[in-house]
Amino acid sequence: MANDSKYAYAVARVRVLENRLLDKGQVDRMLEAQGAREALQVLAETNYASAVGELKDVHRFEDLLAGELERVYREVRRFYPEPRLLEALAAKYDVHNLKVLLKAQGLGREAGGDILYPNVGNIPLAKLEAMFAQEDFRDLPPHLRQAVEEIGAGWSQRPDPQWIDIILDRALYDHLLALADTIPFLKEFFTHQANLVNIKTFIRVKILRQDEDFLKKVLLRGGDIHQSFFTDLYHEPLEVLCDRLALSPYAQVVNEGLAEWQEKGRLTRFEKLADDFLLNFVRSHRHHPFGPQALVGYLLAVENELKLIRIIMVGKLNKLPPEEIRERLRDVYV
Amino acid sequence: MRMRVNPTRMELNRLKKRLNMAVRGHRLLKDKRDELMRQFIDLIKHNKELREEVERELQPALAKFLLARAVMSGESMEEAIMFPKTRFDLAVSRQNIMSVYAPKFSWEKAGGGQGEGDIYPYGFADTSAELDASIATLSQLMPKLLELAQVEKAADLLADEIEKTRRRVNALEHVLIPQLSETVRYITMKLEEAERSALTRLMKVKDIVRGKT
Repeated sequence: MANDSKYAYAVARVRVLENRLLDKGQVDRMLEAQGAREALQVLAETNYASAVGELKDVHRFEDLLAGELERVYREVRRFYPEPRLLEALAAKYDVHNLKVLLKAQGLGREAGGDILYPNVGNIPLAKLEAMFAQEDFRDLPPHLRQAVEEIGAGWSQRPDPQWIDIILDRALYDHLLALADTIPFLKEFFTHQANLVNIKTFIRVKILRQDEDFLKKVLLRGGDIHQSFFTDLYHEPLEVLCDRLALSPYAQVVNEGLAEWQEKGRLTRFEKLADDFLLNFVRSHRHHPFGPQALVGYLLAVENELKLIRIIMVGKLNKLPPEEIRERLRDVYV
Repeated sequence: MRMRVNPTRMELNRLKKRLNMAVRGHRLLKDKRDELMRQFIDLIKHNKELREEVERELQPALAKFLLARAVMSGESMEEAIMFPKTRFDLAVSRQNIMSVYAPKFSWEKAGGGQGEGDIYPYGFADTSAELDASIATLSQLMPKLLELAQVEKAADLLADEIEKTRRRVNALEHVLIPQLSETVRYITMKLEEAERSALTRLMKVKDIVRGKT
């Protein structure tokens, strides 16, 4: 506990930032807005006011979201005492940049600036791009370097873009869990995340009728539901998955998610419930006064909020009926 | 309107030949137009069916794509699909429809996965399941889209050709043929007139000669 007191200041700052997140009322008002512009007007009364003012075209609302993500990470990096935690949370953006650059290299063209995260990840984008220009990956963190080498070796045999994603996703989760080893809360969080990804992957592989070997390749190793659990289930009907997971924390996610799949043939509800599960998990720990919980919760809440805004904006721009938007909306953190 | 020509017997012969040719050409072009029309109607019927089918399937695929787009960030979405896994090698040859050269596509699926279902160019950890269905439909639809492109281009070229042929038929029917036949009539009349006047002159001369004796 004494060690954790270093978090006290940071937790206090996070509490302030939390107050600026969108609340349920604001999200509902966005949802009920007549059009995209009106929905954006709701944001103009919030933390996003200046960004909304600068936005010239409603269709470019992604710029606003990217800007916000960048701003939040910049701000949190300034005061957070435990760099390892931030490193773990931002690692997925490095992996994303790496995927884009590797694919662009495979295609023999430049990666478009729009699809990279320039200032969010741990490795500055410029540095990453320089590595690609010189084809020298020695400065990459070991787990990523290994992944890049593995991809390079596989590429010469058979160029497969999916392989890039699979290897890097796996490297990412291995690394996350290793990083989180000394922070039990974070470890628990990433384990849940890996489990949920694996369950979703299993269902998708079954739906897409890919073979068992493929399933073995795409499952992440990080979760505490073992790979063999899924491979054993591979030849059983999907319903068996519900029975087997009935006593796990994911019972509700799987039951409701699969019920919707059987009824309507889509996994929308599953994805929503999985996101909500993770959010609820961090939310239930957010009042911990000394520890990383508050920050993990806050960053997840920001990502969740950006997702909410995106769903509403895409829905409004394309004139989707509100109920269709609503069934995809995730919970709100505060 | 008749043409301005010298009313000579030689000119008459020449014009008659041209008229003959024009009538024959007109008949041929008319046949060509009718046949083109028939082919065109077949083609657009096929085109309509194909387009309706494609649109029927494309619409839900695009709707699903939109929803996937809503739950994934723009960056992840672009990353997921920036590198397509399957490739179509397209070869273009020509097909002759009534001497209209329309492109004919033949294609072959190249590269990509080992199995039929192996078309997804992205990993599963960072992507939404809503994308899968959309990609699957779009991928199945690709051959039909190519066929549609081919049929629509052919219909387009055929329509141009029909337009051209029809204009030629009309020009022959309403301009050249009436003009020629009128000119032929004019020359014939002129020649007959000349003949008659020569005859009367001859008779007159004969009378004068006879009166003197």
